[in-house]
Amino acid sequence: MTATAAPHVSTAATGHHLLGAASFRVLAGLAALGTGALGLGLIVAPERAWPNLLLDNFYLLSVSLVGVFFIAIHRLAKAGWPTVLQRVPEAMTAYVPVGAVLMLVMLMGVPTLYHWSHPEAVAADALLQAKAGWLNVPAFAMRLVVVVALWWWLGRRIVRVSRRQDESGAIAETAAGMRASAVFTVVFALTFTIASIDWIMSLEPHWFSTLFPWYVFSSVACGGVALLTALLILLRRRGYLTATNEHHVHDLGKWVFAFSLFWGYLWFSQYMLIWYANIPEESVYYVARSEGGWWALFVANPIINVALPLLLLLPAAWKRNETLLFWVCVVIVAGHWLDLYIMVMPSATPAGPRIGPLEVAAVVGLGSLFLVLFDRAFRRAPMYPRGDPYFEESVHHHG
Amino acid sequence: MPGSRIVVGTFLDEDALLRAARDARARGVPVHDAFTPYPIHGLDEAAGIPPTRLGIVCFVGAALGLAAAFAMQLYTSAVSWPTNVGGKSFTATPALVPVAFEVMVLFAALGTVGALLVRAKLWPGRKPFLPASGVTDDAFVLALEAETDASATVTPAELLREHAARHVQEVEVE
Repeated sequence: MTATAAPHVSTAATGHHLLGAASFRVLAGLAALGTGALGLGLIVAPERAWPNLLLDNFYLLSVSLVGVFFIAIHRLAKAGWPTVLQRVPEAMTAYVPVGAVLMLVMLMGVPTLYHWSHPEAVAADALLQAKAGWLNVPAFAMRLVVVVALWWWLGRRIVRVSRRQDESGAIAETAAGMRASAVFTVVFALTFTIASIDWIMSLEPHWFSTLFPWYVFSSVACGGVALLTALLILLRRRGYLTATNEHHVHDLGKWVFAFSLFWGYLWFSQYMLIWYANIPEESVYYVARSEGGWWALFVANPIINVALPLLLLLPAAWKRNETLLFWVCVVIVAGHWLDLYIMVMPSATPAGPRIGPLEVAAVVGLGSLFLVLFDRAFRRAPMYPRGDPYFEESVHHHG
Repeated sequence: MPGSRIVVGTFLDEDALLRAARDARARGVPVHDAFTPYPIHGLDEAAGIPPTRLGIVCFVGAALGLAAAFAMQLYTSAVSWPTNVGGKSFTATPALVPVAFEVMVLFAALGTVGALLVRAKLWPGRKPFLPASGVTDDAFVLALEAETDASATVTPAELLREHAARHVQEVEVE
């Protein structure tokens, strides 16, 4: 409402992209090299490579689903402001099919990753026997297939609605988008709960925490919104998506801030209840993470992911400072990877964190793959969802 | 500013008020304040109202609350009457956090509301200042300073009439 005249929004073909031709080729090369090295690692050092594949692929898959989640919740709330930047979360979803396929690949690593998948271990363990009704390989595989298939299908449905509306401008697509979003949100809540229990929590099959799925969700939601914000700022710096203004950036900063506090709340809730009750079957998780080389990372986690965004994003003016917000987002994206690292790796390398060529290859390979897929998807779609009835409101977004 | 004089005009809608506020500042007539039935996006910018400083009070209140709650709990459970809870250290920090958090929120909220009431002079028994009729109802009222900048090209009353404001009159701020 600031401007009575609409800010000029160019309608020309823009050739918009995140990566230049050279950096696209470099990242595509790194993606091929990194995933190739990781694939080799699965053969020569499986006990080390499978956890890395699980960690990095789960993080990137979740983060790209946060793209769908971001669109879905704003559609459901009938929020007008993010429409102008909607192509960024839409392009983030380009990783979902790849992540889904890699999750299917991970089924081959189940014997390496999950202690409960060995019949002789179950035979010698009363607790695992009690849980075998849920934690057995066929049921695990079936749930995994259903979960990733639903994510792939529902995510695609939400993006398609927006593409169809580019052509037709039909108001009916907005209603279709709301229905798809409602279905996705409910399905995502249930399936992500299953995914985080099956894929992450069952790495330590004796341990359980009822708010664990929430905690994992808050972590990836925070990482995902931070990544979205960082990508938008990069695109703005490149001179694209210039119809977004400082209020869009500010609102994304508020999301990052709010999810950081939400994550901190859940991190502390889980930690404090277990610490206070001090029951061995619960505290075993934190004992493993506060001993040896894990202690430093365990302490760094809440400092990076709560204290830092709390102090650096508290004043409104600082959330609008794009350089500051960008770097905070970069740190948070890495910080929530670290959070997942602390959830996954101690069961693989109990003595302490080990960073070697394999870890670097997995992060660089899959991370580059994510960026390449993002860039390809972003180029292919029109830069703005002009057919969306909320587009005009979004361009005029003010505070 | 007690004793200062303002010129008020009533508008029919928010867009007219926003246009008048922008025009006034562009032509050297400072905006005193605006009174609207609901918050209007962009009004603070249009009227040149600086961002609130209540956030600073909020932050200071939060810091005081946090410190006070930690101090109180450490004093009661570690100094005055050391209490053994499940063999944990007397100064076990995680146990202190929930109360510290609550007191932080309490101090921040009370401090902010208190500072707002003091700054807005909203204490009991105060006679309300109503610059125009309908200001507590549905009127969009723009108040301009009677004293304009030296560079001003119009008087406040002329400017308000140009923008089709009704009931233009000069009043004294109480």
